[in-house]
Amino acid sequence: MTGFDYVGKRVLFAALTVFVAITLNFVLFRTLSGDALSALRCRQCTPQFKAYQRHELGLDKSKWVQYRMYLNDLAHGNLGKSLRSEQSVTTELWPSIKNTMPMVALGTFFSIVLGIIVGVITAWRRGTFVDRAGLYSGLGFYSMPPQWLGLLMVLFVAGALGLPTSGIKDPTLGILGDASTWDVLVDRLRHMVLPAMLETLGEDYVLTARAKGLSNWAIVWRHGLRNALLPIVTLVALSLGYVIAGTITIEYVFSYPGVGLAVVEAIDQRDYPILQGAFLLLTLSVIVFNLVADLLYFRLDPRVQT
Amino acid sequence: MSLLQVEDLHVWFQLAGGRELHAVQGVSFALEKGERFGLVGESGCGKTTTILAVMGLLPPNASVAGRVLLDGEDLLAKGESTVSPHRWVDIAMVFQGAMNAFNPVQRIGDQIAEPMELYGIAEAQNARRRVAELLERVGIPADRASRYPHEFSGGMRQRAAIAMALACNPKVLLADEPTTALDVMVQAQILELLVALANDFGLALVLVTHDLPIVAQVCGRAAVMYAGEIIEAGPMDALYHDPRHPYTRLLFAATPDLYGSGGVISIPGAPPRLDRAIVGCPFRPRCDSAFGPCDSIRPQLVRVGQDQAAACHLNTVVREATV
Amino acid sequence: MSATANPAAVEDVQPAIESRRGLLRRELLRNPQAIIGLTILGIFVLIALLSPVLLSQDPKTKVGSVFEAPSSAHVLGTDGGGADMLALLVGGAPVSLIVGFAAAAVSALIGGAVGLLSGFFGGKTDVALMRLTDYVIVIPDVPLMIVVAALFGRSLTNIILIIGAIYWTTTARLIRAQVKSVRERVYVKRARALGAGNTRLIGRHILPQVAPLLIANTVLLVAYAIFAETFITFLGLGDPSLVSWGRLIENAFTDDAILNNAWWAIVTPGLCVTIVILGCTMTGQAMEDALNPRLRVGHLSVKRFRLRPLQGRLDSE
Repeated sequence: MTGFDYVGKRVLFAALTVFVAITLNFVLFRTLSGDALSALRCRQCTPQFKAYQRHELGLDKSKWVQYRMYLNDLAHGNLGKSLRSEQSVTTELWPSIKNTMPMVALGTFFSIVLGIIVGVITAWRRGTFVDRAGLYSGLGFYSMPPQWLGLLMVLFVAGALGLPTSGIKDPTLGILGDASTWDVLVDRLRHMVLPAMLETLGEDYVLTARAKGLSNWAIVWRHGLRNALLPIVTLVALSLGYVIAGTITIEYVFSYPGVGLAVVEAIDQRDYPILQGAFLLLTLSVIVFNLVADLLYFRLDPRVQT
Repeated sequence: MSLLQVEDLHVWFQLAGGRELHAVQGVSFALEKGERFGLVGESGCGKTTTILAVMGLLPPNASVAGRVLLDGEDLLAKGESTVSPHRWVDIAMVFQGAMNAFNPVQRIGDQIAEPMELYGIAEAQNARRRVAELLERVGIPADRASRYPHEFSGGMRQRAAIAMALACNPKVLLADEPTTALDVMVQAQILELLVALANDFGLALVLVTHDLPIVAQVCGRAAVMYAGEIIEAGPMDALYHDPRHPYTRLLFAATPDLYGSGGVISIPGAPPRLDRAIVGCPFRPRCDSAFGPCDSIRPQLVRVGQDQAAACHLNTVVREATV
Repeated sequence: MSATANPAAVEDVQPAIESRRGLLRRELLRNPQAIIGLTILGIFVLIALLSPVLLSQDPKTKVGSVFEAPSSAHVLGTDGGGADMLALLVGGAPVSLIVGFAAAAVSALIGGAVGLLSGFFGGKTDVALMRLTDYVIVIPDVPLMIVVAALFGRSLTNIILIIGAIYWTTTARLIRAQVKSVRERVYVKRARALGAGNTRLIGRHILPQVAPLLIANTVLLVAYAIFAETFITFLGLGDPSLVSWGRLIENAFTDDAILNNAWWAIVTPGLCVTIVILGCTMTGQAMEDALNPRLRVGHLSVKRFRLRPLQGRLDSE
């Protein structure tokens, strides 16, 4: 069946990409900057200790052997040990992941729903004031760096609402952080959803539907949205990079203990294994997400075959 | 009283920058039950806009004037509210490029059944049965109803579009270029189908096209449109053998004759812009028989034969000359 | 066999290259969005170019107390180090803009080349290049930039290169689609039949058709690049010796501008970034619309067509 063919192909491709990502990770961190790792932790250490460190981390072996060790480690779910805390990277990152996931998932979900609603309304009320106002405000928000927006929100909103601005390191302000990410994401989606809806609503079959006497609502829902979902799925998948970027910076601004903050702190403390582990996880999630989007697309579009 | 009577239909489009395009300029014609009528002209002459106006399917930047009488009732009396109850149940349309008239993510059968369920003509089981009947009637195996549009060939999609148009047993069928982009064999089959439908069910057909041979094949009467208005109308025979407007004559002559020995004739120039007022005859720049009054006076559509009308000064002058 | 009989309707005529550029220019000048966008960009580029002239000293020099509110002495106040905000903004302009334009150029170059080769040669080249594109697309941009900055040092060139190396994928796909469609056009096939070699085909026939779209896309890329630069510098990974708008926001943050209620230190640099990105987006979008006009007519609308009173026969006697 062509259906299984397609699914199989996509999964295979995803697996291949995962492999490439893993290798890239290795190349980046080990091959190109081997000595950076050894130059890290303690500067006052004796040469023997440094040699010991190198041996510990396997840096004294050939690259190929290191690569195989690396793959072997990964197969066992071992991402290495944090240089700062001596804990395994997985134990270090797990709580951060637990913190970030719900925020991102919720944020993405709401912004998709809101984006679609706003997109549909503006496409419907094309040419009216609602459309134009939405378009310009959307364009404006779209151009704002999210961390800046986050800072602004703290500055003006928190101050106005009487929330403690001095507590900028307070994780509960993460709500405001969410708000700014969501807001920018909504407008980004609306910027993408709108053209998708418009294009769909200009198709011939919409005219046919209108000729058949269907109500506006039925046309939008059954013919318009159902078709516009296809490019929307693609666009959401493509915007994942932006979501990650936004999350990292927002977490940094609000000191929200998630993966993003972990990454930033890892840089400051030169904790490369954490950085490597986090980068790998992020890349893997993008790949998985894209796979899900592909499969969803397959489910939605009967035209897709091999 | 005719089944469908279009009286003095005008359509304007509001353009960006405040200008207005006068796309349809006073079109009138009448259609009887079971009649097959052709609306002919080159691209851009306003024929598609005319039939869209009849169904009230114009975009928001359009304005309409005139009357469209269906069994005596004016569909355009109050705009959308008077025309929408008649859509599909009384007048249905087969669009240009039926390839795209179908929603790609919905099954063909469901799309044909959609208007039936909407107007309460049939539900579920009955609807499915009707869909099967319709498909068979247009020459598509009934089991194809569960397939998607992309699984059909162009010709089959065209037929499916016709089946969809017939879903609610309309009285009038407007067919816009139903055979463009189809190969000759399929073309012939579709045309035969249309003729059969008109004969068997008393369906009145308006065939809109720029392709003369098919009009000649299918229609008894036709109107030729140019620059938004009808410049000649009459029985097919008369139009072919005794055209009373240079454009009609040139149109028919421009059709290459497979067995003829004459050269290929073409009409030089292009149609006039419709966003400006036209002075004199719109065909004047391209006409090979233009004279005096053609520059300044716009010809009116006048009766020239038993059942024929043309808008050309040649007819009035000739008449005067024979006095 | 059709009655159109209009010789000008023949598709086979090679479209004049001038007409396409002319079309772009005409359409753009008529489009208010494009005009505003171009004006914004023009102003900022001018400021950036003139910045050495406008600044009498290094903008980071301390000229007032820390976080002074806007006053007649310092129109936009001072930052956490006592330097004049306006001077900093003017000083940061060339850096931010250079990163933007340079990175966009790199991306456009890579993306354009990949798209061109992929679309023109098709077959195995196409498959291979598209596979490569697929791999690059899944790499999350900011994390990669973080990693590169952390591992390879924070220099301006690094930033430009890494931004350029990530964002070329959409351009590649866009150009590839365009090249494919142009390649199928009759005049190209005719030229090939006449014996034109690949280089000539690409250079003379395909490139001119594809160039306007590439330019429009590059403008949008500038917006992305500046965006990316802001992210990077905000996380402290920018070039430490240079002042850019992103850096100014970061400085404000780390200097606790919020605690001091120094809104001018935060709002102004971000506003500059936003406005420039806005300008790029508006211009780029307008250009893309001019080249690939999206359907303006939706078949669905709350508004309906209007009715007019009966006209009576056209009378011109």
